[in-house]
Amino acid sequence: MNAIEIRNLKKSFRGMYAVDDLCMTVPVGAIYGFIGENGSGKSTTEKLICGHLVKESGEIRLFGKDYTDAGVRVRVGALIENAGCFPNSTIYHNLRMQTINLGLENPDEEIDRVLKIVRMEENANLKFKKCSLGMKQRIGIAMALLGEPALLILDEPINGLDVDGMKIMREILVDITKNYGCTVHISSHILGELEKIATHYGIIRQGKMIVEMTAKELEGRARVFVSLKTKDMQGAKKVLCEKYDDVREEEDFIRIYDVDDAGEIVEFLIKNGHIVSEIKKNKIGLEEYYIELMSKKRR
Amino acid sequence: MSGIEFKKPTFPERIRGMLGVDFYRLFHTPMFYIFLGIAAVIPAMILGTMGMENPQTGAVAEPLYTNTWNIVAAQSPLYVVNSIADYANMNMVFIFGGIMVSIFIGHDYKSGYVKQIFTTHAKKQDYMISKALVGAFSMACMCITYLLGAVGAGIFAGTSFKVNAGSLIIAILSKMIMSLGWAGLYTFLNVIFRKYFGISIASCFFFGTGILIIGAAAILGNNSILNIFLYGSSVFACLSSSIITLVVCLICSLVWFLIYITAGTKILSKCDVY
Repeated sequence: MNAIEIRNLKKSFRGMYAVDDLCMTVPVGAIYGFIGENGSGKSTTEKLICGHLVKESGEIRLFGKDYTDAGVRVRVGALIENAGCFPNSTIYHNLRMQTINLGLENPDEEIDRVLKIVRMEENANLKFKKCSLGMKQRIGIAMALLGEPALLILDEPINGLDVDGMKIMREILVDITKNYGCTVHISSHILGELEKIATHYGIIRQGKMIVEMTAKELEGRARVFVSLKTKDMQGAKKVLCEKYDDVREEEDFIRIYDVDDAGEIVEFLIKNGHIVSEIKKNKIGLEEYYIELMSKKRR
Repeated sequence: MSGIEFKKPTFPERIRGMLGVDFYRLFHTPMFYIFLGIAAVIPAMILGTMGMENPQTGAVAEPLYTNTWNIVAAQSPLYVVNSIADYANMNMVFIFGGIMVSIFIGHDYKSGYVKQIFTTHAKKQDYMISKALVGAFSMACMCITYLLGAVGAGIFAGTSFKVNAGSLIIAILSKMIMSLGWAGLYTFLNVIFRKYFGISIASCFFFGTGILIIGAAAILGNNSILNIFLYGSSVFACLSSSIITLVVCLICSLVWFLIYITAGTKILSKCDVY
């Protein structure tokens, strides 16, 4: 059984499909990184899962049940666009309201618990409007964590956060999946951050899912390359092109793709009169994989 | 996976949660107390117009009312409004109540809290019912502070307190009952104009004044057929009320409440939340 299962989901705005025949599978316990360009349909998909938007066709199932099932919905938490808190109320009052809505038996204990998870236990009496962006995002997560949700839907939760904020958020997300068995569906543009935590990926383009894979599969698909620097970059590139199929000059480095043996390359360059000043072996990361995939799709 | 339990909340559990949130919010927001205060001040302002001296002529203005209870309800059902005295009574609470309900619901959307509500188990119907009931409660409370304000103003101004106590009680109770129907209307209007905060307030104010019924009364005259409308029944609750007034108001209020809740639920279910 999967935490989220979407089949042929469609949603349009003024005749334009924002989500077009989308299929998605998110296994229980996964941190599912949902990636796509601006306007690709990420937020719309998440809003549809959360029931904020009305779907035109298709099927959304959460833990094997219809997504409108109140029993499932009570175990769903979300942070879509903003925390959804009243600015003039304190953090405590905002959380308290949600505990009442969820019918939680020990509201104060529950509020303490979620504030500890997001490391804001000292700030309960602070008015929401006085909080920084990072704090607001964490309060949004705390709000979503009330009632021990089985599924968390997070829309760009690390956007606008500083380095420390991103690190805290990353640790929180790993913590809640490991220790609370929560499945997390997270959309983000910051692929470097996503890569550090996601166990599964879904890439969406123009409302359609173009690829779904696990982090291991991404690793398997990722191309290896050797990047190096020489004094005469153009000359070295010309020489390398004679032997290797995919040689590119990128970010002040020459990259030789699908080659694992750096020693062989160094030897070859020396033979041809080029001295290597810097060399490293690397793998294509999520960001590069994504950019490459998108440029292929655009062609 | 087998460890995850899904217990479906029943309708009473869901509505208790929604009502709990809304009442918690109501009692923790200054807006509610401000509107209670406004309701208490209105009668004093109405009575304050009596005995006011014109600074240029020195003439003392005719008092609007000589009997305190006329600030609460008209002597007889007057749908046709000829002067401010025919209009200025407890029914004005429903105008201010409309503005309050608009702000209350508008903040749900403005803050984004509505997303938290609909992400979890709350159904659209629960939302409509809860908002309308909280709105009705607020307006009923405003009726009470209006009454207290009227008594205070009456004592201060020295106006008469002569009245048929039974009719007065029925009139007040009937007006309080009408809060339910009015709250249904305002919740409905706010759901329709949920994306436009200003229009929500303006529409609630417009309908709350009863201007449409007053306009209809200008054509139909003081016709009891107007009692089928919220403003009509609110006017029907006057100082000559009988038990029939109470029954008419109860039926009218309940029927309109159900109509608006059903229509609002349908709209919310068919349309995107925001």
